[in-house]
Amino acid sequence: MSQQSLTHVSPSTAAQPAQRRGAANFHLGTVTMYFLMIVLALAMLFPYYYLMVNAFKGTRGFAADPYSLIPKTFTLESILYAWDTGQISIYLGNSTIYATIVVVVQTFISSLAAYAFARIQFPGRNLLFMGILATMMLPYSVLLIPTYLIIWGLGLANTISGVVLPGFASAYGIFMLRQFFLNIPMELEDAARIDGASRLRIYFQIILPLAQPALVTIAIFTFIGEWSSFIWPLVVLSNNKLYPITVGIALFRGEHSMYYDRVFAASLLATLPLLFVFFVGQRYIIGGISLTGLKG
Amino acid sequence: MTMQAKIEKVGPQRSKPLWQQPRKWIAGYLFAGPAVLLLIVFSLISIVVSLYLSFFDYDIIARGGPFVGLGNYREALFQDELFWTALWNTAYYAAGVVPGITIFAFLLALAGHKVTYGKGIFRTIYFLPSITPIVIISLIWVWLYSPGGMFNQFLKLFGISGPNWLMEAPIAMPSVIIMSIWVHVGYYVVIYLAGLADIPPDFYDAAKVDGANVWQEILFITVPLLRNVTLFVTVTLAIGAFQVFTQIYIMTLGGPGSATTSMQLLIFRQGFQYFRMGYASALSWLLFAVIFVLVAIQLRITRAEQIV
Repeated sequence: MSQQSLTHVSPSTAAQPAQRRGAANFHLGTVTMYFLMIVLALAMLFPYYYLMVNAFKGTRGFAADPYSLIPKTFTLESILYAWDTGQISIYLGNSTIYATIVVVVQTFISSLAAYAFARIQFPGRNLLFMGILATMMLPYSVLLIPTYLIIWGLGLANTISGVVLPGFASAYGIFMLRQFFLNIPMELEDAARIDGASRLRIYFQIILPLAQPALVTIAIFTFIGEWSSFIWPLVVLSNNKLYPITVGIALFRGEHSMYYDRVFAASLLATLPLLFVFFVGQRYIIGGISLTGLKG
Repeated sequence: MTMQAKIEKVGPQRSKPLWQQPRKWIAGYLFAGPAVLLLIVFSLISIVVSLYLSFFDYDIIARGGPFVGLGNYREALFQDELFWTALWNTAYYAAGVVPGITIFAFLLALAGHKVTYGKGIFRTIYFLPSITPIVIISLIWVWLYSPGGMFNQFLKLFGISGPNWLMEAPIAMPSVIIMSIWVHVGYYVVIYLAGLADIPPDFYDAAKVDGANVWQEILFITVPLLRNVTLFVTVTLAIGAFQVFTQIYIMTLGGPGSATTSMQLLIFRQGFQYFRMGYASALSWLLFAVIFVLVAIQLRITRAEQIV
């Protein structure tokens, strides 16, 4: 790997002739840097490699040699077991349902509110918006118990609605989308209003299509967040048929701690959908985070 | 005369206060309504309920309980040793994770910014753990940390017999911290990279003219210019670190003994295993107070630095 970096580096030094004192010194620094970055990158990738290797060793193969990095056996046995007998397919289905519902509803509700805060004058608007921003400061810790009691009080504990309902409103989503809507030229909307278009029609036919990148960004973040959420479903659900993958896999691990190859197989199944979302939407994710950091 | 009266009449009507023209703003309430309503229920009412509960010995099974005033807070501060243990553990965790991630993310971003080849690939790889559920990462790391796992196999190469990372009291929390740094560092690398991209190259050119070396450039240009990014990173990390739960729940369940019991784990246990929701609420407010004070101090320090 490090040799590969060497060949990669040389053109870069050629492109920057003697800008610094001592080209050799610079060269050495760059090589060291690449070397360290590659070592760290491998350290980041290693657990994923480990996950893959162990997911395909099979129960016997794993028991015979649980720690080796180069597997001697290859079988889908653990994967099939986790998927079927281990009910991982059910948990994955649940997670998909929860994440999809929350993504669709939250993006819609947030964008409606963001449109109002960006484009419509109404009494108390700024005060309301400040209030929404203030809710972002509340730690999740304080909200967990009362949120549970409210859901329980509504009779929604241990139901699908109970899992998804608290995720429907997102102050963060409203804030991000409002920033985006503010940058859409007012003239577009004015022209439509003169033509007699209603607010709702403007929102659907002008604002939403233009805001597509921002909507996709919010949707991806929400999906990843929902898919990974653990403590809320853990608290609100008691029927394991309704568990999302995170809580389900924790239960699965408790039942199969003697067969850790199955835990690896289940973990691999749980990670794949997110990896897919990540590689498809990477551009939006990186852009979205960069924006957050700069706003702060 | 009549013309003037008409004009006068028209004038004030045009500038009628907004609230007297509901046709113009009613849409605003309709659009914002659903989100505002949900946030009122799940933030505003939640906060009130939580504060209210913290003064009661509320039991969810009995659907009630007696008013105890500050009793829950008194119990936590003066009787519950586990509260202080958990607070200490949480502070320990934060003291490892916040500077650890900030420094690593900054250095990695510096290197990533300079790199000409494979920038995107490095960023993607470092970011990967941020989009993997912490539950899954914890399950993998449990195996890496196991007595015969990767870490100990590596140490064996040097003839060292490694510890049982997650099961021995003094080493369990550092193990959780190392794993957490690995998980979160990539996210903050992306944030620092965005900050670095925003620094105008003129600053560095000027420094080079003055004969500054690389370290001087970093120390006197990059670090001060990224102060706001660093503030954002440390505040976000501190708020998150003080609420750490998932990796501890999966990897150690707060053990061995109570060596890794965090505040959030304690709150979860009191509220959802012992069903002492009033006491758990009081604990969550104490945690909120700690986070609030810490963030206030962080903001204070940054502001003081800016004046100097």
